[in-house]
Amino acid sequence: MSFRLALSDEERLVQETARRFAEDRLLPRLRAHEQARGVAPELGREFAALGLVGAEAGAFVRALVLEELAAVDPGAAVALDGTGPAIGFPDAAAAGCRAVVVDDVDDRFRLHDGRLDGEAPWVPADRIDVAVVLKDERAHVVREGFRLTAVKPCGLEAAGASRLVLAGTPVAAVVEVRHGRAHLRTWVAALLVGAARGAHHYAMRYATERTAFGRPIAHHQALAFLIADLAIAVDAARLAVWRAAAALDRGETAEWEAATALAEAAEQALFVGPSAVQILGGHGFMKDHPVEKWMRDIRTLASLGGGREAAEVAAAGLAVEHEAGLR
Amino acid sequence: MIDLAIGAELEAEVERVRGLGREFLRPLGIEADQRGAPVPPDHPFFAMAWRMGLGQPLGVEERPGRRGGARRGVVLAEEMSYWDRGMSVAMPGLGLGGPPLFAMGTPEQKERLLAPFRDREHPHWAAFGMTEPGAGSDVAAIETSAVRDGDAWVLRGAKTFISNAMRADWIVVWATVDRSAGRAGHRAFVVERGTPGVEDMRYEHKMGLVAYESSSFTLRDCRVPAANLLGGDRHYAERAGFKGAMRSFNATRPAIAAMAIGIARAAFDVARDFARAHYALERPVPRYQRVREKLARMARKLEVGRLLCWRAADLADAEQPNEVEASMAKAFAAGIAQEATGLAVDVLGDAGVTADGYVEKLYRDVKAMDIVEGTGQIQRIVIARRLVGLPSA
Repeated sequence: MSFRLALSDEERLVQETARRFAEDRLLPRLRAHEQARGVAPELGREFAALGLVGAEAGAFVRALVLEELAAVDPGAAVALDGTGPAIGFPDAAAAGCRAVVVDDVDDRFRLHDGRLDGEAPWVPADRIDVAVVLKDERAHVVREGFRLTAVKPCGLEAAGASRLVLAGTPVAAVVEVRHGRAHLRTWVAALLVGAARGAHHYAMRYATERTAFGRPIAHHQALAFLIADLAIAVDAARLAVWRAAAALDRGETAEWEAATALAEAAEQALFVGPSAVQILGGHGFMKDHPVEKWMRDIRTLASLGGGREAAEVAAAGLAVEHEAGLR
Repeated sequence: MIDLAIGAELEAEVERVRGLGREFLRPLGIEADQRGAPVPPDHPFFAMAWRMGLGQPLGVEERPGRRGGARRGVVLAEEMSYWDRGMSVAMPGLGLGGPPLFAMGTPEQKERLLAPFRDREHPHWAAFGMTEPGAGSDVAAIETSAVRDGDAWVLRGAKTFISNAMRADWIVVWATVDRSAGRAGHRAFVVERGTPGVEDMRYEHKMGLVAYESSSFTLRDCRVPAANLLGGDRHYAERAGFKGAMRSFNATRPAIAAMAIGIARAAFDVARDFARAHYALERPVPRYQRVREKLARMARKLEVGRLLCWRAADLADAEQPNEVEASMAKAFAAGIAQEATGLAVDVLGDAGVTADGYVEKLYRDVKAMDIVEGTGQIQRIVIARRLVGLPSA
């Protein structure tokens, strides 16, 4: 048999469960979580009890869940899947931990005598249990001695936001990066897909209700075409993420798949976010609607885990050897 | 979890196309392009391919869902077009004439019209004639008229840009019995070769895809036997005429999208090989990073486009509605394929704009992928109708 792109019944169930949690529990508290810079603790426990992204969850299922959460609140998704970014680094973060992973692409951290010096201007957390600093092919795990100073982020407020400072901080463990970076990129990419979908759906519904010049604005071809392009953008990004996640679950290095998934998801989401605001016009600019939040969240997500830049540099490095043929 | 392996069976078919492509499709496509004329129907290659049982990938499938036909279709369409998209259309077979025959034809019509295609000695073609000088995307606006006269229909009008029309055993010609009825007035007639009244048959001169013929002709009081009304009168009493045509579009959009991907992949391979050959890989020459980024973008986009094609085909095989997904694949793939072939020209620089560089041919060829089977704009209208209820114009 040949390729299949349909979800299994079990996967649909996971997706549906995550969607219901996001819509019932996260949506009503969207702005409350934003202001509190965190998700209400009882919701954290409730989400954990659902067991959707437990230790045994593969990258594919995790991507499905993250999309659903991020379609409502990307910041809350980051907070709720605390170990998510570190999932590709075995033993780095125990279940229930809050982890951040910094891909030190600009060489801001210095290693000496088993200690790290340096700082990251932004990590999406106010409190963490573990930080993983990637330097080339080594992942340095830090469990104590870091300093977090709150900063005001562009978006993802519900996750928290801090400057991370390491000053002679002892490295608890050093592990090979191996699939870790691919997991991290796929994780970020899945969040971008969700945020983009949320923004697109909201703007699309608004466009069918709001009238201008005697008809729903969605029926003006300029906006109808934009809405169609946004739908394509979301689906294109999702399929790229699914491909990367499936490759990871098959045990492949997935370096190319994950780098291109993040590059694609970032490009498409960065198109969708501002376009959704544009569709709402002046209303889009106001905080009465969530599209301005998703636009900011998307912009912020695209800088996470080395961000789109590192992903594109990685993909560029692989491209000259890449085989795009059918197999 | 999704599974993106094409499977051993299909892989073997792809391998066969590879051999054919390397040896025949690409050289013949280039030769036709440089000569400025389609590969003639009596070219020995067609007879050889026909004897080998190699028709168009969109060939004699009665239903796309059968035997994973849509998935097979997108994979083989991509591989054929990777070697030469013009040649893939030039291949003998039913082409776009197949779907309306299978969807609407009576058992008698199928038997009679498929008979020549069972001759494995000599290649045969069929064709599909909808487009007119004044009606492209706006299919409902066709003006070719059909008037009943005794046991025949008389067709009057003009058809244009019809693939393989001159070499076809028969052409499915669309005409209207009542212009005021719009699509409900459409009828499909099988016009067989040699029918009097098919006049001024001529090749059009194209910017690209020269290897296959796009022909135009006039129907001057062309008498077609009543038995050649596709589906017979009863079919149209149920007002299924236009739907029959659109079904053939819907089934082929993912395959056309896959052809765009194939062309984009050819451009990627040429650009990548050029980069390998012309740039010191470890030494940062000034333009090298830009070249690598362009290559990465080309590969990423074509692979994402492929996934959109595959999803649409997978849905078709599962017999699930795929109208939006098929249009998404077509809109996206045609767009990125144009971008990718353009980037390949950039990578090759001044070598990219000469025939020797090859990518300029791909740049010309690929443009048609955003025009045929519904332009990119039509695809977006289809999507917007479904998503936000965009009213029909």
